[in-house]
Amino acid sequence: MTDTAAQAALHAASEARAGDVTLTGVTKRYGDQTAVDGLDLHIAQGEFLSLLGPSGCGKTTTLRMIAGFEEPDAGDIRISGSSVVGVPPHRRNVNTVFQQYALFPHLTVAENVAFGLRRTRVPRSEIRDRVVEALDMVRMRSFADRRPAALSGGQQQRIALARALVNRPSVLLLDEPLSALDRQLREEMQVELKLLQARLGTTFVFVTHDQGEALSMSDRIAVMRAGRIEQLADADTVYGSPSSAYVAGFIGRQNFFSGTAAGATVEADGLTLRGTADLVAGTAVRAAIRPEAVRLAPGEDAGENRIVGRLVGISHLGESMQYIVESGRHSIIVLTPRPSAPSVRPGDAVTLSWAASDVAIFPDDGATPAPATAAA
Amino acid sequence: MTTTAPPQQRATLPPAPRRRLRLPGFLMALPAWSWLLVFFVAPVGLVIYYSFGYKPGLFATHATDVLSFDRYLEALSPTFASVFLNTLWVGVIGTILCLLIAMPAAYWIATKVPANRRGLMLGLVLVPFWTNFLVRTIGWRVMLAPEGFLSEWMVGLGLGPIEILNTRLAVLIGVVYNYLPLMILPLYVAFDRVEGPLREASKDLGADRVRTFLTVTLPLARPGIIAGVLFVYIPLMGDYITATVLGGAQGTMAGQLVASQFTTAQNWALGSAMAVVLILTTVLSAVAAAAMLWLVTWPLRLANRMRIGEAS
Repeated sequence: MTDTAAQAALHAASEARAGDVTLTGVTKRYGDQTAVDGLDLHIAQGEFLSLLGPSGCGKTTTLRMIAGFEEPDAGDIRISGSSVVGVPPHRRNVNTVFQQYALFPHLTVAENVAFGLRRTRVPRSEIRDRVVEALDMVRMRSFADRRPAALSGGQQQRIALARALVNRPSVLLLDEPLSALDRQLREEMQVELKLLQARLGTTFVFVTHDQGEALSMSDRIAVMRAGRIEQLADADTVYGSPSSAYVAGFIGRQNFFSGTAAGATVEADGLTLRGTADLVAGTAVRAAIRPEAVRLAPGEDAGENRIVGRLVGISHLGESMQYIVESGRHSIIVLTPRPSAPSVRPGDAVTLSWAASDVAIFPDDGATPAPATAAA
Repeated sequence: MTTTAPPQQRATLPPAPRRRLRLPGFLMALPAWSWLLVFFVAPVGLVIYYSFGYKPGLFATHATDVLSFDRYLEALSPTFASVFLNTLWVGVIGTILCLLIAMPAAYWIATKVPANRRGLMLGLVLVPFWTNFLVRTIGWRVMLAPEGFLSEWMVGLGLGPIEILNTRLAVLIGVVYNYLPLMILPLYVAFDRVEGPLREASKDLGADRVRTFLTVTLPLARPGIIAGVLFVYIPLMGDYITATVLGGAQGTMAGQLVASQFTTAQNWALGSAMAVVLILTTVLSAVAAAAMLWLVTWPLRLANRMRIGEAS
């Protein structure tokens, strides 16, 4: 974490562009609970950054401190280069899309969108044009004169987005804005949000507990745990090279094997896994293999990184097939794209194999990521 | 939809359950309707009817064989009219004072007090209500008496004795004290309904505390404010216990006049006419206040209105 701290300080020192957000040693406590613990984070202008983690990891508190609804107990927050500690929310050039949208029920859609502009010195004629422009942007112009209560969740979501973006904030904060939508709408909105962000070039800070959301939209993902950032990297790195068992378990699904390291191999309860890392013999480790990295073949053909098991379950997941294989005391999940799915039936003996490069080995950090659960 | 059983089965089937009697829905409100009819519509109708009559002799209270507006002319004579104006003054000022005191208190309880202590705060607001109305009001006589302890302290501080007992100021203090909980409760409910995220959204969009209160909290709390104002204003206009105990000769209110016509003077006709004038004064003044408020805020509403329209 020290090099990120240095990096953050360096960014703070150098002239920051409008839309930069820099957090240095930010700490927030509630009673004896530490919600955010010495957080260092630099968000570049125009970046789409996700704060990802389970509830209680401090991601929403971090967002609320950037918005100004909470003040940090220690540390500094800089937006566009200047410190905003002690600056009330109405004087920060950031806008928020709230989880439950928080649209004003006594105003029409257009009046909701105009709310922020009316607090500024924007002339009346321009307010109207910009409201129309913002409503066009989210394709909600025909709903301009309705009340929010007459709109569906997805439509309210769009209005909340327009109401925030119409002010042309240097940073847009989104607090789990898609969590109240059903799945199909959520996926549509993910695409729309990403396109909008790319077009506007506004810095987006997106809080979510949904790893799929974070992976699909973010330039970078900050995986949070207990008030700290566990890993900060682009989606590909976080998915492909998680820095810890916690991250590996939180992003995507994993087959985890607890065991003892011996060089490049892990002894895990009757199973020998060979990875590429060189490990101190005798240390407690967790090995992780992605379900999609496992190949499944009919028949029995054991070997290194190759185990024999019995197929106990098959489920269709649309574009892919999921197999659950029992081998000794382990239960392993395999994901295979549908076109290349082997023809096997429950009860069949099968062989699972994977490449050594697909075995990720982490020190046992005591975290208990959800065991590789069957069915999405 | 009805399904008929095949003929061969019909004999073996138990008799079809009797169609359940469905009463029309408005019957649920029947107790309330009958209560209103017996204790509100009928007496008020009688009062209106009596108000057109007269007092036929020393030992009769009313007669309606000759109907006229004469009792209304009596009720609006200068002596009585000044009492009505006095009542209006106490009613309007009292309601405004209640609103001004209750607004910050209710806002504080609804938004600043931690949720687990709000019940306690509301309980404290209600505690005086558990004490007899008359006892509480007489308590104020002790407080305001020129020879009372409060007055003596004031003398000690060189501020002179308090000499407001038996004036309309004493009545005003009494009614504000007595009716304040009736204002705080609906205002609390109203402010409580304005969710925290809405106020946060307002601040997020550049409105400071005052603007947030004026443009978000207050408009959303409006139904509660209207309810609170009516809860206080209407009983306050008809109040006569507070005025009897604290008002003396200078602080007489219309309610006392009505009561004395019915009891001491035994003139039900004049008492009825006064009661009708009091009811009309209360209703018309409330309507006038609402209309005035609507007119005054009209330019503001016009300025905040925004219609896009699909065609434009």
